Amino acid sequence: MAQMWITMGPQHPMTHGLWTLRVKVDGETIVDTDAELGYIHRGVEKICEDRDFTQITPYCDRLCYVSAMTWANSYIYAAEDLLEAEVPERAEFIRLISAELQRLASHLMWLGAFGPDIGSLTLMTWCMRDREMFLDLLQELGGSRMHYNYPRIGGVKRDIPVGFATRMIAKIKLFEKRIEEYEMLLDESTIWLVRLQGVGYTKAEDMVEAGVSGPNVRAAGVNYDVRWAHPYSVYDQVDWEPAVEKPTSVKGADCYDRYRVRMEEMRQSSKMILDAIEKIPGGKNTNYSAGDEMIMTKAPTRAPEGATGFSNYECTRGASQFYIKGGGEGRGKNPYRLSIRSPMFITIPYVAKTMIGYKIADIPAIMGSFDPCIGETDR
Amino acid sequence: MGMRVTLEQSDSAAKSCVAVLNERFSGSGINSTVEHHSNAFKMPFVRIHVTPQHWLAVAKFMKYDISVNYCSMVTGTHFPDGPAERGWEVAYHMMRMPVSNVKPNTNTKHVAEKLSGNDIPLEFEVLIALEQGDTPTVPSIQSIWVGADWNEKETWDLVGINFEGHENMHRVLNPHDSPEQFHPLQKQHKLRYHGHNEMYDDPQGFGRKPADEGRNK
Repeated sequence: MAQMWITMGPQHPMTHGLWTLRVKVDGETIVDTDAELGYIHRGVEKICEDRDFTQITPYCDRLCYVSAMTWANSYIYAAEDLLEAEVPERAEFIRLISAELQRLASHLMWLGAFGPDIGSLTLMTWCMRDREMFLDLLQELGGSRMHYNYPRIGGVKRDIPVGFATRMIAKIKLFEKRIEEYEMLLDESTIWLVRLQGVGYTKAEDMVEAGVSGPNVRAAGVNYDVRWAHPYSVYDQVDWEPAVEKPTSVKGADCYDRYRVRMEEMRQSSKMILDAIEKIPGGKNTNYSAGDEMIMTKAPTRAPEGATGFSNYECTRGASQFYIKGGGEGRGKNPYRLSIRSPMFITIPYVAKTMIGYKIADIPAIMGSFDPCIGETDR
Repeated sequence: MGMRVTLEQSDSAAKSCVAVLNERFSGSGINSTVEHHSNAFKMPFVRIHVTPQHWLAVAKFMKYDISVNYCSMVTGTHFPDGPAERGWEVAYHMMRMPVSNVKPNTNTKHVAEKLSGNDIPLEFEVLIALEQGDTPTVPSIQSIWVGADWNEKETWDLVGINFEGHENMHRVLNPHDSPEQFHPLQKQHKLRYHGHNEMYDDPQGFGRKPADEGRNK
């Protein structure tokens, strides 16, 4: 049969954003693919060269519209490395809690978007319902539903409000039961299993070689996680273990494994939050005023010429990294160069190539299971 | 309880890597050192200064002898006001990850404190300084780490570093019909001109003066 190129996107439900997947098909079978990115490139790296270090945080919030908190935190750790700022322990606990709440919200957004891809429209409404709980909690911290601008160099913007801990514990306990509901809905659904099992195999070593990281690698059976391998924050003080799957084939993880690992990761995040709120120094029901030394340390605002800062952070989709060179125009108030490593920018071209050999109908399942987010990809 | 790689583990791993690198490449202008981050855990990383002509040999040694299996990030920087021998800089960030394929129905659960040898996760920073000029060029490591492919595409697209031997180089973030030699992160492209704060003060551009102002017509 004659082969032909089909263009999927930029406005295709499979893309979860704006990008184009060109597939070459022979009948129903994919024989070649090509990814085109850059539709929403905003030039964040260039803009940041003209902003001082505090002003950059909101830009990093806007890198990813479903996990703003983790991206802002990721930048903050690089800036703290550059400016040699110290962070009070209470602030580290609050950051951990806020990042894990964001991870729950982000994974729910992923599951909610992945469900309709597979044919389960119910899932979308369920996930949006539960995501609302975590958006409310994050709103209490940052003041906004989506872009929080919450972490600061040397601490956090403000302390957790009075009563936040009680509300959060109640919601997490409810959510832990809801995860079981999701599993009952999905793991017993024949459509879900048929569409996901045995589709989109990827091996652990191939993924690492290609630059894929995070939950996608853990789905292939290795518990590598930046949170213990390149430690930051206080993850060693709270109770958790990295979510990891047991892939059933020598060919590696399939879409079903990637779904399972994210469900497990939501459980671990819930566990982590419940433990962290009990262990938080200064008590869970105290509210220190903004700028108090319990939650904020004064940090220098200028970086010397030649200094560099680097952070490796477990974002919801993999390792996000920032590399900052100090000493730009404005005598060190701005970065000279700020470089962002987005996990999805590397993953999307890789996933496009792994689709070769599968059918057109498998594309939404394979692509969706890797959790693409185009905001961070195009920067 | 949560676990983490300890400072002693990382320090010993970084020191042994630096020792083998310095022994293997002594006298060729390659200099590797152990550096430490300045935030809470003071974790070490290996910083390697390489010249472009030795980069491929060092990269192969890193990949196959000290099992650096993850090329995570390539950053190009333009220094138009810098010294003659450092007009551009390419920084590579690499990671060593203890990841290998597993048998069906099993998994690897590493315990951070018990890792040893080449299994200890470690961070590498490779710095290559390039001379002033219009065509900064480094060899491509696309054939060594697949993950370097799109990182190099991005660095060429945004900064204009040429990667010699890179197959299928094309624009990834800028439009495909961008003019040749247009790389927006080079420093001759400025965000503000004449001290005029365009973004905040005058988003519509009404306050801008016409180019021929003050001229006799």
